[in-house]
Amino acid sequence: MDPIVYVSLGAALAAGLAGAASAFGVGVAGAAAAGVVAEDEKNFKNALILEGLPMTQSIYGLITLFLILLSAGIIGGGFKFAQATTDNIVKSAILFGAGLTVGLTGLSAIPQGIIASAGIGAVAKNPKTFTQGIIFAAMAETMAIFGLVGALIMIATGVGL
Amino acid sequence: MEAVTGILNTTIAVVFTWVGYKTARILWKYTPYSYPNARIKAMEAKLLTEQKFNELAESRTLQNFVVNLEDTDYKDYLADVSSYTVEEVERALERALAGTYGLMFRILPKRSRGFFGLLLEGWDVRNIANVVKAKLANEPASDYVVELGTMLPKVKAMAEAKTLEEILVILEGTPYEEVYQKLLLGEIDVTRFETELYRMHYGKLLSYALSRKDDERIILEEFVRLSIDRVNILTALRAKKAGLSAEETKPMLIPGGTVKLDPLLHVDSFDMALAELDSTKYGQVIRDVREEIEKDLSVLEKALNDHIIERISELERFYPLSIATPLSYVLRKEREIRKLRAIAKLIENGVEPERIKELAGEVA
Amino acid sequence: MFRPEEMVKLDVITLNRYKDELLTYLHEAGLVEIRELDVKIAQKDAPNEYHRKAASYSITISRLVDFLKAHKKAHGGGIKEFFFPKEKAKRTYRYEGIEKLIKDVEEFLAKAEPEIRAVEGKLSSLQTEIERIKEAIATLELLSVFKLPVQYLRHSGLVEVSVGSVERLKLQALIEDLRKITEGRVALVSKELGDKALLVVANLSKDHDKVNSVLAKHSFERIEVPEGEGTPEELVREYRKKLDAKLRELDKTKKEAEKLAEKYYDDVVFYQELMENERDKASVLPMLARTNMTFALTGWLPRVDVPKVLEGIKKVTEGKAYINVREPSREEIEEIPIKLKNPSWAKPFEMLTEMYGVPRYDEIDPTPIIAFTYSFFFGFMLTDFMYGLIVGIVAALLVKGHKKFNDGTYKFAYTLLWSSVFTMLMGILFGSYFGNAGDIVLQYVTGNPNAQFWRIADALKDPMFVLMLALAIGLAHLFTGYTIGFIVKWKNGDVKGAVLEQLPWMLIIIAIVLLATRNASLAMPAKALFGIGIVLFAIGEIVANGGLAALMIISDFFGFVGTWLSYARLMALALATSGIAMVINVLVDMVWGIKISVVPLGIIIGLIIFVGGQLFSTAINALGAFVHSLRLQYVEFFGTFYSGDGKPFTPFKSKREVSKLELKADGGA
Repeated sequence: MDPIVYVSLGAALAAGLAGAASAFGVGVAGAAAAGVVAEDEKNFKNALILEGLPMTQSIYGLITLFLILLSAGIIGGGFKFAQATTDNIVKSAILFGAGLTVGLTGLSAIPQGIIASAGIGAVAKNPKTFTQGIIFAAMAETMAIFGLVGALIMIATGVGL
Repeated sequence: MEAVTGILNTTIAVVFTWVGYKTARILWKYTPYSYPNARIKAMEAKLLTEQKFNELAESRTLQNFVVNLEDTDYKDYLADVSSYTVEEVERALERALAGTYGLMFRILPKRSRGFFGLLLEGWDVRNIANVVKAKLANEPASDYVVELGTMLPKVKAMAEAKTLEEILVILEGTPYEEVYQKLLLGEIDVTRFETELYRMHYGKLLSYALSRKDDERIILEEFVRLSIDRVNILTALRAKKAGLSAEETKPMLIPGGTVKLDPLLHVDSFDMALAELDSTKYGQVIRDVREEIEKDLSVLEKALNDHIIERISELERFYPLSIATPLSYVLRKEREIRKLRAIAKLIENGVEPERIKELAGEVA
Repeated sequence: MFRPEEMVKLDVITLNRYKDELLTYLHEAGLVEIRELDVKIAQKDAPNEYHRKAASYSITISRLVDFLKAHKKAHGGGIKEFFFPKEKAKRTYRYEGIEKLIKDVEEFLAKAEPEIRAVEGKLSSLQTEIERIKEAIATLELLSVFKLPVQYLRHSGLVEVSVGSVERLKLQALIEDLRKITEGRVALVSKELGDKALLVVANLSKDHDKVNSVLAKHSFERIEVPEGEGTPEELVREYRKKLDAKLRELDKTKKEAEKLAEKYYDDVVFYQELMENERDKASVLPMLARTNMTFALTGWLPRVDVPKVLEGIKKVTEGKAYINVREPSREEIEEIPIKLKNPSWAKPFEMLTEMYGVPRYDEIDPTPIIAFTYSFFFGFMLTDFMYGLIVGIVAALLVKGHKKFNDGTYKFAYTLLWSSVFTMLMGILFGSYFGNAGDIVLQYVTGNPNAQFWRIADALKDPMFVLMLALAIGLAHLFTGYTIGFIVKWKNGDVKGAVLEQLPWMLIIIAIVLLATRNASLAMPAKALFGIGIVLFAIGEIVANGGLAALMIISDFFGFVGTWLSYARLMALALATSGIAMVINVLVDMVWGIKISVVPLGIIIGLIIFVGGQLFSTAINALGAFVHSLRLQYVEFFGTFYSGDGKPFTPFKSKREVSKLELKADGGA
């Protein structure tokens, strides 16, 4: 495959998969937030914060997209790997891998949304469980963070910015 | 190079298919319960506390009782109460329960809300059985109608009907027509009639539960089987107390339970029947209230009810985003309303607050 | 610092006649946590008639409050109110026993309740009437399809008429059944409307029962025909006139309610608070023991408050009380309630510790440590001078406005203020000002395309450096945790636990640090330390788990590695912040040059994107920093040494927002 296919696929998968997963995650948690607010408006603040948690994955995806584009020179200058030399193909494949890592680990936004949803319910029943709910939801994000760390290292050391 | 690309592409394709499948399944399974369960959790926070019940028991008059309930969710249903009689308060509480069922039906996903429709039909069965029994005993039937169920207008018309034939006309086209016809023709007696109605009801519940998938099936099946066991155990023990033989009792049992009651039916005394139950999974439940059961079987009914609620709550902890949450809420709400009705009645009878606290704890 | 407040146990026995006064004094002082007293020979105390009255009045009044609040004219609000809420004025009430209080409340209610209820009743009856009229209009509009005067639809006598709706599919069957059962003595008019059909049935009154059961069978829903005569159209006009009149009346009544709210709202809120405090006070009665003449109570209080409480009790009881203050015994350690004690700079951070759980009485209070580490991690994850500035300004305003309340908002804002300081420091360290916006401005100002603010490293270009930094910080954090755990356990006499659970990791961490220096001469001792650590760890696992040890050794060791690597989130979130900021800056850069003739549209849009985007980025990244900094404390750090299963100190205390009691013990009389 041409290097440009790798690079653009990598960028698209990172932002696209993680973004879609975040959307689902926020959606699931948002439904729960709407539910508890329907019963009692004072749940609003807690529900809002928990609902926002699955959003981070899309941000990681977005950052990765920009770093990939930056690293490949699509942002700020010309595309660096236009020639299909082995070196260029390897570098663009690394960028593809980085994007894929963030995209797939970004899927953790969906279970995070589900945990947040259960957490919103629990907080509505007993407001004291708010912090615990946040910590439980933040657990699911660890995978996305590891993915981002991996991708950053791949991009920075494998290709360079 | 070609081969490597091929392997790579295949791997990616497999990974994506698998991830896509898993993701879709997770979303399909949990998303529909997100809204209702969160809302129900918020409602659980508003269930009445022990302290509130104590305050209610202290009311002394029904008017105070109603005032004490006005800072709860019952407020809307109590708005019409003006004469402060037990009947009126009971009607209001029944409407509140009907409201709960209605809400569950509205907010739950299509694939499982039918169960609450069926549970509501359970009240139809109760109403029909009560009305027919009252009619046969020449008592005012409308006193026995609970303001709940899917065919309440029909039930009310039945209660007003003058003859048994008119009831048949009303029941025409409903699932209950056939059984009632048999009763009219004298093929079965009224006890059998009631059993048949409940059999039909539990049969429906069970087949609905078995037609679900995954955790929904696990939870619903557990609930239905527990309920059937509860009815059967109570029937069997009552029959034992009344000295009925195994052959007489057997037709009164409902199929589908998990406990084998055959050995129990063949023992000689009530005590031995209880001992027989000791080895079943209800042993612990019965052991806890053993002493009181001998005097009063309703204690056992309460214990079994509590056991069901506890079991469903356990499942709720296991499957937080599932039908266990609404189910356990409805069961708790039913228990709460039973308790409130009992307190209202005791207040009307002028029972002392301390005594009410004790008694209300026993009935529900 | 590091230790919770010292607690002592208090026993009081005194005469029954001082009970109300003494409880009120303790309730207002709010210094003692009352515990259940179990004495065989004495009976439990119970609420009396006045307490019951307090409970019931508190509900009555809270309904009045709800009603008046809904009709109170809202004023204030807005941003100023958010930062600088006004303090509510406190009204003083001279407390002379619950009997007198109940009497005062009854007096007030006798005056206010009928007035308020009258308006409430009027409002609700008006609303029901309006609903009724609306329903009638809707029914009439439905009936207009028949073009029959409505009085005929209500007919009864020899012939009765019923109007109702039925499902369209059942209509035919219903008509047939009706004809059959009445032997044709029935007149029917029907009209189909969507899924339903409207039906008018006229039958002989003597057929009533038969007809009724057929109608019930087909679920015929009766429609109540509204009062009045004439065609539906004429009646609708009449009803609309009535509706207008009622609506005007409703408006007038609402004005009345507003006036009432103005007159009584403060009063009802005041009495509600008094009643609710009485209700709360009565809740400890079942914990007391009593005889005919005396009663006894027991509880915990901080040592520093002892003189004050003793003096108060003596004053209230005129010295006629047996008071015993004693040290907690060894067995009581699990029961002692925990009140955290920290210098004022760390006090607001107690909130974070309390959210997780307070320490046991013999444990260390980690608040001062997490005050530092939490804020530092927050700063590390946000790492931007300007973001820190924004957060800092908001936090500072909140701290200033809420200090007098000492509420949750104040405490949270205070922790945020500290965090923002670290954020700014880290921002300077990594040269981040709205991401790379600072650099771009600098390049524009100096004209040097490579100009940059000073920084120790460029996070985006050299993420490995940041990662190493994050992991090193993590190691230091964990080492602190294990060391504290070691010391606490050692001091409490659990030497075995200290050596087997905490020490191995301390050795392993030291070994990792020595290895990381890449100094050949340190390699040997490092390996030795690592070896000892692993051996101790393995022994600990075998002692604790026996047969399962082999499995647990592997899983716990990788658990440690996972915990350590978890600190990589410091780097990931720091880069995420500069990443998003950069994305916004790139977007602004793209639109900046756009011009429509001479209008610099690009600059306007660019500024909007910049301000909106950076504010959004601040909010979302601050949320992330808060959550993950907290997580690092709770999961990783506390996991090394902290149990947090102490019972928090919940003193018997009144809630006073709009009221104040004047007591005898205060020197009132």
